[in-house]
Amino acid sequence: MANRRSATRRQYLLATGAAGAAALAGCVDDEDPEDVEGNGDGDGLEIVHWWTAGGEEEAFNALVDGFEEETDYEANPNPAPGGAGTAIDTEVQTRVLDEDPPGTFQIWPGEALRTYTDADALEPVGDHWEDGAEDAYLESVVEASSPEGEIVAVPINIHRLNNIFYNTEVLDDAGVDIDGIESPEDLLEAFETADDAGYVGLAQQTQEPWGTLQLWEVVFTGQHGVDTFQQFLDGEAADLEEEINESLSLLEEYSEYFNEDAGTVSWDEANAGVITGDAAFHHNGDWAAGEYQGAEDFEYGEEWDYAAFPGTDGVYTLVMDSFVMPANNPSPEATEAFVEYCSTVDAQERFNPPKGSIPPRTDVPTDEFPPFLQDQMEDFEASDEQVTSVSHGSGLEPAQASEVEEAFAVFTDNWDPDETTQDLVGIF
Amino acid sequence: MDFDIRRLLDRIRRRRTDTEQNGERSVRTDGGTTTERSGRFSKMRHSDAVQALPFWLPPALLMGLFVYGAISWNLLISLTDWSGLEQPVYTDLSLEMYTQMPNDPSFVAAFRNTVVLLVAFTVVSLLIGLVLAILVDQNIRFENTFRTIYLLPMALSFVVTAIFWSWMYNPSTGTINVVLSGLGLDFLTMNWIGDPRTRLAAIIFALTWQFSGYAMVVYLAGLRAIPDEHYEAAKVDGASSFKMYWRVIVPQLSTATTSAAVVLMVFALKAFDFIFVMFGDTPGRSADILAVMMFRVAFSRTQWAYGAAVATILFLMALAVVGPYLYMQYKRGDL
Repeated sequence: MANRRSATRRQYLLATGAAGAAALAGCVDDEDPEDVEGNGDGDGLEIVHWWTAGGEEEAFNALVDGFEEETDYEANPNPAPGGAGTAIDTEVQTRVLDEDPPGTFQIWPGEALRTYTDADALEPVGDHWEDGAEDAYLESVVEASSPEGEIVAVPINIHRLNNIFYNTEVLDDAGVDIDGIESPEDLLEAFETADDAGYVGLAQQTQEPWGTLQLWEVVFTGQHGVDTFQQFLDGEAADLEEEINESLSLLEEYSEYFNEDAGTVSWDEANAGVITGDAAFHHNGDWAAGEYQGAEDFEYGEEWDYAAFPGTDGVYTLVMDSFVMPANNPSPEATEAFVEYCSTVDAQERFNPPKGSIPPRTDVPTDEFPPFLQDQMEDFEASDEQVTSVSHGSGLEPAQASEVEEAFAVFTDNWDPDETTQDLVGIF
Repeated sequence: MDFDIRRLLDRIRRRRTDTEQNGERSVRTDGGTTTERSGRFSKMRHSDAVQALPFWLPPALLMGLFVYGAISWNLLISLTDWSGLEQPVYTDLSLEMYTQMPNDPSFVAAFRNTVVLLVAFTVVSLLIGLVLAILVDQNIRFENTFRTIYLLPMALSFVVTAIFWSWMYNPSTGTINVVLSGLGLDFLTMNWIGDPRTRLAAIIFALTWQFSGYAMVVYLAGLRAIPDEHYEAAKVDGASSFKMYWRVIVPQLSTATTSAAVVLMVFALKAFDFIFVMFGDTPGRSADILAVMMFRVAFSRTQWAYGAAVATILFLMALAVVGPYLYMQYKRGDL
C-alpha cells in the first residue's frame, strides 16, 4: 500500500516535471531565429501606435490601407494608447530592452529619439525615404529626424503649436481687435477686455502640466524670439534667468483670466468654452481645430478663427509624429517599405486631412485639405523659422522634458515665477 | 553559530554511542558513516515535506522565480546606476539611488503624500465602514439593497471614478459645489482639485467613497458573528446604545478591523490609476505619490535604477503594512 502510494507520487512528480519542462521549452522556442523571421514578415508589419480615437484612428487606418495597397506587405497594427504617449513608451522601451522590438513604432522626432539613438536601437532610414523626398521636406524637419546626424525617422505629420484660436463673435462683442494684438503682453490686455465684457479670457486646462508648459513655450518664443528659445533648448537656461522669469510672470498674470475650472478639466472641455461663446481665446496645437470643425454651426472664418500666437508671426512651432526602424528588426523588408511609403505624397495626403495636421512634405496637393489646414500649409511654407517643442517631445530629451514638466506642475500650484525659474535653471 | 556547535556535539555524541555499541564499525572507518547516512536518507525520504515535494515544489519554484526573484532583481537594479535603453551593469553596486532620495524634493513630496493618503484613507474608510455596518445591521428594510448600493462603487474601475470625480469637483458646474451653494454654504465651495491645498484631501475623499463600502461588508460579517446575548447582556446592564457598541461590540471587531485595514492600505499604495487618470504622470507636489513617481522616473525618464529604488521603498511600505498582520496571524496559529 505504502509502495503504491509513493509510486503514484512519483508519477505526479514526473508529470509535473514534464509539464514544467514543456512550459519552459515553450518560452525558449521564440529564440529560434527562423521562427522570428517567419513571425515578422509572415504576420505582416507590426506597427505600435497610439492613434485610437476619432480622427486619429481614421487617419491611421487610411495610412495603413494605403500602405497595403501600394506595397505587397500586410500591416499588423498594435495600438498602445493612453497617458499622452507614456503607455507606448512602456511598451516599446521594454521590448527594445528585451531585444524584441516591433517592426516599427510611432515616436516624436527630435530629442525624443535620443533615448533610442543613445542605445543604438534605431537603424538609419535616410536611404529608404522615397527618392527626392528629402528635398520636399524643410531642413528643420529633416534635422529633427536625425538627432545624431543620420536620419533615423520619417516624419508623417506636423501640428502647429503657436496658434491662438478665438471666437469671432465674442471678440467683436468685447471689442477686441485681433490685428492689434502684436505681443504676448497685448494679449493680456485683450484678456482683460474680454473679462470686462463678461467672458473668460483664455480657455485653458491646468489639470495636467503640459498645458501650462506649452503655453509658456509660445509666450517665451513670442517675447524673446526663436533664437532665445533655442538657447533654452540647448541647455543655456542659466543665461536666460531674466527672460524666463519675465515670461513666467506674464503667464501668472494670464492665469487670472483662465476659466475657473481650469484645474479640473481636460483641454477639450476647456475648449468647449470657445465653441459655446463663453470664452474668447484658446491656445493649443491645431488639433484643437478638430473640435471646432466637429461643432455644428461653427464655421472657420465665420464663428471661429486663428492667428499665429502674438509675437510668433513667421514662426512654426513643430509638433510632429514619425515612424522609425528599430534595430534587431523582426521584419526589416516590410519596415523599409513602410518607411518609404510614409515619405510619399500619397501617404501624407491620406493621413493628414483626417488627422487635422499638415504634411511635412511641402509638395503635397492642398485640395484634399479643409480651408483651415490649407491656410496652415501656406503658413508653414512661408515660415521663416521652425522650432521644436518641449511639451510634445521633440525639444528636449525625455528625462529633461519630464523634469521641465514637473517644474510646471509646481508652477501651476503656486504660480511663483522665481521658484520655477530656479527649478528650470536647475534642470540643465 | 551556537546552533552549529550544538549539532556538532550531537553528532560526536551519537558517533561515540555507535562505536560503543558496535565494535566492528569502529574499525571500518568508512562503513560507519555510510550506514548512518543511508539511515538519515531513508528518514528524510519518509518525512512529510519530502513526500509532499511534487505538490509544493512547482508552485514554490514559480512563486520564487516570478515574485521573489522579481523583487530581488528589482532590489539589485536599484543598486546599479542603470538608465537608458542599454543593458544594466551589475559590477558597480552602491546605495546612491537611496542616498539621493532625501535631497529630492519630488521624492519627499511623493513619500509624504503616500503616507498621508495611506493613513487618512484607511482610518476614514474604516470609520465610515463601521458606522454604515452598524446602521445596516439594525434589521432595517431593504438591507440587501443598501448593502449593494454601498458596495457598488468598489466594483468600478479607478479610471471611471477618477473622471467621474473630476466632474463632481468641477468648481463651476460640479455637483459638490452646486449642492454646497444650494444649501447656502457658499463659503465652503472650493476649487477642490485645482487648488493644491485641497487636492490631496479631495482625492482621499473620493477614494474613501469608493472603498468604505468594502470596510462595511467586512464589519458587517464581524457584527453578525457576535452572539445576540452580548447585546442583550449590555442592554440588561443598562448600557446606552453608544456605550454598548463602544465597550462591548467594537472591541470584538479587532480581527475585522485588522483585515480590512490591511486590504485598504494596500489599495492606498496602489492608488496609481486614480491619480494617473486625473493628472497624468506628473501630478505635481501636492498629489504625487510614490507609485506615480516610480512610473514617471522609470518610463518617462528611463532612469530605471531610481525607479527601482522607489519601487523598493514602496515594497518596504507594503511589507510594513502586511508584515505585522501576517505575524499576528502566525502567533494566533492561523497561518
